[in-house]
Amino acid sequence: MTRPGLCRVEQIMGTAITLDLADDLPPAALHELADDVFAWMREVDARFSTYRPDSEVCRFDRGEVLLSEASADLRFVLEACADLWGATDGFFDAYATGRLDPSGFVKGWAAQVASDRLLAAGAANHCVNAGGDVRVRGFSPAGAPWRVGIRHPWDAMATCLVLTGTDLAVATSGVYERGRHVLDPRRGAPASGLRSVTVVGTDLGVADAYATAALAMGTPGLGWLNGLDDHTHAVVTDDARQYHSVGLPLTD
Amino acid sequence: MRRALLAITGLAASTTALVVFKGSPAATQVAQNLPTAQPVNPTPQGVDPAAEPPADATAEPPAGAPTPSVKPSAPASAKPTKSTARPPSTPRTTTKAPSAPRTTTKAPEPTTRRVTGPGVDNEYGFVQVQIVVSGTRIVEAVSLSLPSGGESDIHSDDVSSRYDGTGGEVVQKQSANVNTVSGATETSNSYKQSLRGAIEQAF
Repeated sequence: MTRPGLCRVEQIMGTAITLDLADDLPPAALHELADDVFAWMREVDARFSTYRPDSEVCRFDRGEVLLSEASADLRFVLEACADLWGATDGFFDAYATGRLDPSGFVKGWAAQVASDRLLAAGAANHCVNAGGDVRVRGFSPAGAPWRVGIRHPWDAMATCLVLTGTDLAVATSGVYERGRHVLDPRRGAPASGLRSVTVVGTDLGVADAYATAALAMGTPGLGWLNGLDDHTHAVVTDDARQYHSVGLPLTD
Repeated sequence: MRRALLAITGLAASTTALVVFKGSPAATQVAQNLPTAQPVNPTPQGVDPAAEPPADATAEPPAGAPTPSVKPSAPASAKPTKSTARPPSTPRTTTKAPSAPRTTTKAPEPTTRRVTGPGVDNEYGFVQVQIVVSGTRIVEAVSLSLPSGGESDIHSDDVSSRYDGTGGEVVQKQSANVNTVSGATETSNSYKQSLRGAIEQAF
């Protein structure tokens, strides 16, 4: 069975980045597009990793880099995180751990930028999955709208909902993989009540941050998500209830 | 027998006396609380401390002192979700209850007052806090109203009443018929999952 396009997976940012190009382009062009995407993701990792002491984020956090000296990407990310802090009532907090950690935005943002660049380069049909944060555009290799499963919080091999669309940013934050790693920045304690939060919009960085924020809010996060006009959501609570907005692009 | 009766009566009498003695200041306190319990009226009369000299002609030691200490801690316990919702001009200073009829001469005993904060509405509900001030110290903070269930202990059943979306049991579906999976995938487990998906699609 052959299919148009190309699919490639690489381990970057401590997670798996999957790129699925569905355009029927010459192999050389597809490989070049994929090379560019993964080079970008590695660049983001080098710049924003909190695990690398020499990353720009760590150097900035230690005061070795001034804001005026920072790269355009870092300045953009810092500004975006400040905006998101306000938009989430402080629940998306890049300083929640006491030091600068914009990871909750960076992963989705990096995938979003990759997708934007693919679109600009003429690859309008693609799927970028950065560690569970998904940006899809156009159609899948089968010629149908993309089908994006939402992972079941208690069963890694199953999904609990399936979304479909031709222009979706789908970000999920959950406490099942790394435990309760998301802190409520106001109490400094792990958030509770919600097991998994999925936010659907058109900007993956924002969706990622919103999902993280809602998870940090705990159960009240459901009401907060409910009040967002331009995003839809799906939530699984600790007691195995599932809530989703009516406008969620669901499919069977 | 008589002696025993006397002893018992004496005991009862002294206990009663004790209770009465102990109780009376508390009783006056309650009376004194009433006026302070309604500073909900939004007119900030005594915002600047200089503007309230006449109230404390009596020998009340902490004149305007309690006011600043009230401010920071009341909202802290209230956990206002929107910092904007904090009205800084609650008339706490005003109700310096005219020194109640304190008959006894226990001078050092600081006065205890209850001060009710304004009701603050946020997106999670209505919050109102009352503090107990002893002298210049806050000795207790009580929440008169919190969003139902408090911080994060609301059960999802409670949430659903105010919720526009739909809810139900979480179900398991096969993930074979999807192009990709969104999840909080951070570990090698997810790597395998993603890799598996990629392989499935690629061949």
